[in-house]
Amino acid sequence: MRLFWQLTKTSFQRHLTYRTAALAGLMTNFFFGILRAAIFVALYDLQTEVEGITLEGAITYAALGQAMIGYLSLFSWFELMNTIYTGDIASDLLKPMNYFGFWMAQDLGRAAVNFALRGVTVMIGYAFIFDLVWPRGVTRIFAVAVSLLLSWLISFSWRFLINLFSFWTPNARGILRFFFVLSWFFSGFLMPLRFFPQWVISISYLMPFPHMFNTVIEIYLGVLKGPEIILALFHQVLWVLGLILAGQLVLRLGIRRLVILGG
Amino acid sequence: MSIISVSGLSKYFKVFKHHRGGLGAIRNLFSRQHSIVRAVDDISFEIEPGELVGYIGPNGAGKSTTIKMLTGLLVPTSGELLVNDLIPWKERQTYVARVGAVFGQRTTLWWDLPVIESLNLLQHIYKIPKENFEANLEEFHETLELGPFLDTPVRALSLGQRMRADLCAALLHNPDLLFLDEPTIGLDVVAKERIRQFIQKINHERNTTVILTTHDLSDVEKLCQRVMIIDQGKLLFDGELSRLKDKFGGQRELVVDFSEEYRTYEIAGATITAQTDLQVTYAFERGMITASELIGRLSAKYRIRDLEVREPEIEETVRRIYEERLLE
Repeated sequence: MRLFWQLTKTSFQRHLTYRTAALAGLMTNFFFGILRAAIFVALYDLQTEVEGITLEGAITYAALGQAMIGYLSLFSWFELMNTIYTGDIASDLLKPMNYFGFWMAQDLGRAAVNFALRGVTVMIGYAFIFDLVWPRGVTRIFAVAVSLLLSWLISFSWRFLINLFSFWTPNARGILRFFFVLSWFFSGFLMPLRFFPQWVISISYLMPFPHMFNTVIEIYLGVLKGPEIILALFHQVLWVLGLILAGQLVLRLGIRRLVILGG
Repeated sequence: MSIISVSGLSKYFKVFKHHRGGLGAIRNLFSRQHSIVRAVDDISFEIEPGELVGYIGPNGAGKSTTIKMLTGLLVPTSGELLVNDLIPWKERQTYVARVGAVFGQRTTLWWDLPVIESLNLLQHIYKIPKENFEANLEEFHETLELGPFLDTPVRALSLGQRMRADLCAALLHNPDLLFLDEPTIGLDVVAKERIRQFIQKINHERNTTVILTTHDLSDVEKLCQRVMIIDQGKLLFDGELSRLKDKFGGQRELVVDFSEEYRTYEIAGATITAQTDLQVTYAFERGMITASELIGRLSAKYRIRDLEVREPEIEETVRRIYEERLLE
């Protein structure tokens, strides 16, 4: 466990050194979010509420989405894949440590830096421009925090799992991109899931994506209440466990057919 | 009790047939035609604790594949492989804790971290007791002269510095067994020598078993008592380096500087292979005549200023083995 925190800390410090990249990401996320908020203002026109979400709620949804891009690495994550293609995975497998835990610790460091530098700052920035919704009450804030952590766990376990495709194909980049695009749509990142017809919502909840993104937003906005929150968190936990288990199984199969390139 | 025990070890790779051109790309999608490449083909050997073994062979001979199986990175196609009483790929995490490895072509350190940070992480990864870690670090700090670049990120190190840092990283946890895959590749003469001395010292003082693969045969000549030669997946030779030379060394050479000019420099038992002014190079067969006999004959006939016996270069010997397939 000490190793886990040590790796997290090291990764945290490492990502802190990429301040320029974080700043560039921050600016992009920030301005794109203003555009998205503007679209909501136009779409809502004179309506006060759509599918249980107010205009403030919709703008807050856009802000939260932009704030979570870095934290959840929503756009891409090829780090593990790259180590398989460069053969650097050899160095990691030669170390007596749990491979999943090794990546998880590092991703936690990465997520923490992005949460602070790109997440919190984006929210503060929007707070100056728009009227945002803020979660009220200790219980809700606590639920949001737990759900946010679970979102990261789902996101990481899922990214770990799909990166393992690279054990089987010499170029998994295209496959991964497809999965990421799929995740934007079905997680509710592009549009709140509630705006879609019921059958789309039903399909999406068969996948991990809404649990990774939509759940935390709905808890934050107060769309989910009381026991619904407990149930949503419970579903998140189930997805975390399922994805971790799947990752372990696929990893075991992958290592058995590993071909280390180069050298 | 052997530390490494290998019998009938093989690794085959499937290579899928590749069709060229636009239609070929579509055919590639459906075609499952493949050929089998026998990267390592039925090899067997034992290595005792404390041995320093050179593992050599031309490019694509199967060296790296063998090392990858020995380190637990590849699963063998068939055969038995037991290292430290463990099956490397099956019990990877337990196994690698007692093993160190340096790959000349890539680093095991974190690319963008200062060296010392990487080493500190390794302390946690290998769960090295604090006293051991500090004692080792102090020793390596001295012998490998790590001081000037401990706080430098790995990406900013020179190749020689990176190799020293990697060697240190591979040995901090006192492994029983050290795998070195081309540890001197691309290094200058001074850096090579320093690395070699360090390897020798570790082997002597700590009785660490070392498996060394290299293309630089002077590494083998300076370090190894035992050498294994692999080519096309087959183990061609396994034995002492001196035996290899005796058997395949071919001709030895005697270079003589004469004090004055003679009409002819011919001598029985040797042939002249080169001549410049007063310097003549003779070649003679091992087993036909000894060096001292030849020198005796020469000095009886001529006045000699200086002379030198040249053993065949291991380089030359191995080249002949590869090219003429002497071992088949």
